[in-house]
This record gives sequence, C-alpha cells and structure tokens, in this order.
Amino acid sequence: MTAQLESSPVTSVSVELQHQIEQYLYQEARFLDERRFEEWLDLFSDDTYYWMPTRGVRYERELDKEFSRRDEVSHFDETKRGLEERVTRIRSGMAWAEEPPSRTRHMVHNVIIEPGDSPDELLVRCNILLYRGRLDRDVDIFVGCREDVLRQSEDADYGWLIARRSIYLDQTVILAKNMSIFF
Amino acid sequence: MDISDLVDVQQGTLDPRIYEDEEIYQQELKNIFARCWLFLAHDSQLPNRGDYVTTYMGEDPVLVVRKRDGSVGVFMNQCRHRGMRLCRADAGTAKSFSCSYHGWTYDLSGNLVGVPSEDDAYHDEINKEEWGAIKVAKVDSYKGFIFATWDAEAPSLLDYIGDFRFYFDAFADRTEAGTELIGGAHRWVFPANWKFAAEQFCSDMYHAPISHASAVLALTPDDQDVDEEVFPMDGTKGRQFSSELGHGTGFFVESGDVLANIVGQKPADWFQGGNPEAIGRLGEARAERMRGAHATLFPNFSFLPGINTLRIWHPKGPNEMEVWAWTVVDKEAPADVKEAQRVGTGRTFSVAGLFEQDDGENWSEIQRVLRGHIAKKSSFNVQMGLGHETYEDPDFPGKINRVYCEMAARGFYKRWADMASGQSWDELMASVQKAAEASL
Repeated sequence: MTAQLESSPVTSVSVELQHQIEQYLYQEARFLDERRFEEWLDLFSDDTYYWMPTRGVRYERELDKEFSRRDEVSHFDETKRGLEERVTRIRSGMAWAEEPPSRTRHMVHNVIIEPGDSPDELLVRCNILLYRGRLDRDVDIFVGCREDVLRQSEDADYGWLIARRSIYLDQTVILAKNMSIFF
Repeated sequence: MDISDLVDVQQGTLDPRIYEDEEIYQQELKNIFARCWLFLAHDSQLPNRGDYVTTYMGEDPVLVVRKRDGSVGVFMNQCRHRGMRLCRADAGTAKSFSCSYHGWTYDLSGNLVGVPSEDDAYHDEINKEEWGAIKVAKVDSYKGFIFATWDAEAPSLLDYIGDFRFYFDAFADRTEAGTELIGGAHRWVFPANWKFAAEQFCSDMYHAPISHASAVLALTPDDQDVDEEVFPMDGTKGRQFSSELGHGTGFFVESGDVLANIVGQKPADWFQGGNPEAIGRLGEARAERMRGAHATLFPNFSFLPGINTLRIWHPKGPNEMEVWAWTVVDKEAPADVKEAQRVGTGRTFSVAGLFEQDDGENWSEIQRVLRGHIAKKSSFNVQMGLGHETYEDPDFPGKINRVYCEMAARGFYKRWADMASGQSWDELMASVQKAAEASL
C-alpha cells in the first residue's frame, strides 16, 4: 500500500499521489468525452455504487433535508450492472436521446484527497463542470461536486478502481430534457 | 380563433397550433387549469401540523398546508399586499408564513394575522379579514391523493374522476392501508407543450416499442422474446380505456411482462396477482391483468401503475413544461418490494431514466418543428382505432379499444377543446351523461 499520506495544514497526501489521482480523473473524463464507455466501465469496481440524489429548495434551518437520502428516490442509483445496462442502451443505436450522440466535455477541478475508510482506499472530492452540446443548438451545463472512494488495485489498468461515486448537482429542477450522459 | 374547430375527433385530426399558440395557452390557464380538479400532493407528504409543500395550479403558485385541525388547506403562495411569493422553499414545516418583502404574516390556513406597524403605519384601519391569502374553492382527497380546484362550480372530485375511478383504484386502492410516497422528487423541464406528455400517458402505448426500444433491449434478458413477452405487438393482447371526462389508460392483459424487467420479478408478482388483498378488493382482472399500464387523469396528472411513478406536467408557457415526478408504493408492501420499486422507478422513468430520456427528445423536437409556418398549417393524425371502440368488454367497463389506439387521445383532446373553448360545467357534465346513456 502506497497511499503516501503526509501531514500538512492543507493536504494529507504527497505531491506524487495528488498528481497520480488527478491524472486518473482526467483520464476518466477523457474516456467519457471520447465515448469510450467500455473502457470507462473498467474503471469501476465490481461492487461499485454510483449515486446522484435529488435536491430540493429548503430554508437554512431545514438544509439537512435538501438532498434525498439513500433510501429515497435519486437520479442515479446504480450498481456496476446498472451502469453496464446504460452503456448497452447507448450502444444500441436506438437510444434516441444519444442518437445522434451528445458532445460532452467533463471538467474536473478542486481535487482534494483524504484517507479512506480502509488503508487501500482514498476519499477523493472534486468539483465538476460538464458541458453538453446536442443536435444543432442544445446546450446543457451541469455543475456540482463528486465524492469518490478510490480503491487501489494491482489488477486495474490504471492502478485504481472507483468503488463508490456520489454526485451532488447544484440544480434542484434539472434544466435539461434528460440526463442521458454520465457524470 | 374558435378552439373547438382545432380538434376534430370524428376525422381524427388535430390542428398543431393547440401546442404553440400563446392565445390558446392563456385560454387553457383560464378555462382548464383554473377550473379542473388538479392533483397537488400525497397525504404522506404532510404527516404533521404545519407541514407544507409548494406547488402550482397551472402557473399559479400555491401552498398546500396541514392545518391545525389536521385538514389540508390550499391557498395562493402570494402575499396580498404587493404580490410577493410568500414561501420560496419546496417543502418544510412552519408555524406561519411571513412575507420577506414587508412582513405581512399568514397563519396555516392563509388568514392574514400580522401586519408590521399596523397601528402606526395603517392607523389600525386595515381589515385583515379582507386581505387573507386567496384560497382555492374546494379541496378534497381521494385515497390519499389531494386535489383542489379554483372553481366553486366544479363537480365533486368523485364526479370529476367519474368512470376513471375503476382504473384509478387499480393504482391507488390495492390495499386497505393505501399508498405512501417515497421521499425525494424528480423535477426537470421539457422544452415542449404539456399536452404531449399528458396525452402520451393517457393514450400512447404505440410509441413504446419504438421510442423505448433501447431501454427494452437493455433490460430484457437474452432468452426473452420482446415482441411476444415484453411488448406484444398484437394489440388484441391489451386494452385502452377512454373517459368522456378526458381521462384515459391503456395496458396489456396478456404477456406484457415489462414490469419484471424494470423492477424485478418479486415486485412484478406482488403487483400482478401476488397480493391476495388486492385481488379481493379489485377482482382478478384489475389486480392481475393490468400490465405495463399508462394513465392520465385530465388534465395533467399521470401515473404508471406497477412501475408506480406519478407525475404532474406543470405548464410553463406554450413551449415548456416542468415535470414533477414521485414514486409511490403500497404502504403494506414487503420491504424488498418497496425497495425494488424505489430503485426501478428512478432508473426508468425520471430525467436520467432509461425510458424517459427518449421522450424528451421526441417532444422537444416536435415543439421546435412547430415554429415553422407550414408546420403550423399541417394537421396531426390521431385516427388509430377510430370507430372500433366497444362498450362490451367482459372485464373492463366503459369505452374500450385495443391497446395500440388513439381513442383516449381523441377523448383527451375532445375534453380539452370543450373546456378550453369555455363550455360550462353543466354542458360538460351533460355530454358525459349523454355518452353514458348512448353506451347502454
């Protein structure tokens, strides 16, 4: 295990690990933007859990109820198999929301790494900005943050697997006709 | 323009201006959304006194509140002083509602109870009783589903639901304990007229094998025959129902096992014959053989029994709608059934849902094409199944046709045109009575 934890006022990881994880996230974004979905799927562990809650408008005193809970409804509530089904759908040639395909650009920022629950895991937070162009004129912009659990794996091509992903968008009413893309 | 000329149910044609004309839209807001019974909330969203949700009736914002006496109050979410929106959260718990502009304060029933500087600024001369929030004319609930109307002349909620009640019960009344709503809501926008969605859920099984081909493919096990087992292409294997009141539903009575692929075998079994209480309350036909059903209660409340999504299509101008969708479950369903429905509904019918993603593409592109001059002049075809209705189905009462059909769309648009053109409730309900007599 080479989590390379360090202790400093602003980060608990080494420059090398920070660099490695950021490059990993950029590579992942590239797979999505180049529609290399099968390679993207390989970045997820078999027991992965991919989740995006819904969000409502609440006053400050009830802000803890802003996001739906795990046992409530969500935008994404996916196992590995669920993600594979979504890719199967996109590849069918009949997924009209993605045929013709969307053009996406995933931007990943503000990567902060913390120790995970077990020695081979890291908790990786980042901000995302996702631009989607569709057909002639459709434009959607999604902004939010992700919380990933990355698990170190010798078998994985890129050294790490995404064992859990939570995505928190900064929209309540989603201002798009669909979310046929990945985050 | 006379709105009743835009819908010809005898010929099965629609003038597409009904989807994009601003003047027609204003008539809808006035004659449909300010008169019909509209679904607002499920009882389980307001368990305690002071619990509230905000929603819309047409484009008018309303507060739906559990009052001190335990009943539900519905009033405009707007301060009477200068028109500011009273409450800007979607939901919460409150003791009162205070306007953030000048501080006029309303109690849980919408009565004006506080005016800052009432003595000094108003010389104690303001009549607070006169300036309470604008209240709806009637609030009622059916099996836990709360509705309201702005129109004191509207028939009772039960008369408004009418002959659709038989089919609504197959969704809402499967057990004595009734249904409950799971927390969280899917809300998103379609750049398209609200009627495309309301009509599709009312009447359109025909689009499913094409529009949703990719989702059916992704969710169907390799050893299953889609055309036979999941979405039978033989329309005699299903039924469509149309109400003179504008409501409609369609479902498979044989095969049509899409539910198992969406939520899993156990929840599908629970919904299709595995719950003896439901069979006792509804009878075998409704409890077991309403499969893969779609349904709309006129004008803009839709649901899919079994998949158990329900939604409101809020109108936002002629060219846009905002969908609010929830998941309901039988309160006494086994925990794993509820869990599978919670996950399955979100995975299929939501903004990221495997099925519903593609609906957005259809509706928004129709709307975009309708900007054209020639497009506005070219009528749409709703002729499917014209003249093939029957009133003699042994299991399913009312006006019935094959599942692949546009009879319920014609019913929806007939009601829409009659209402939007300003027919009175007496006229509207007389035509229902007349049709009922003609069917005997």
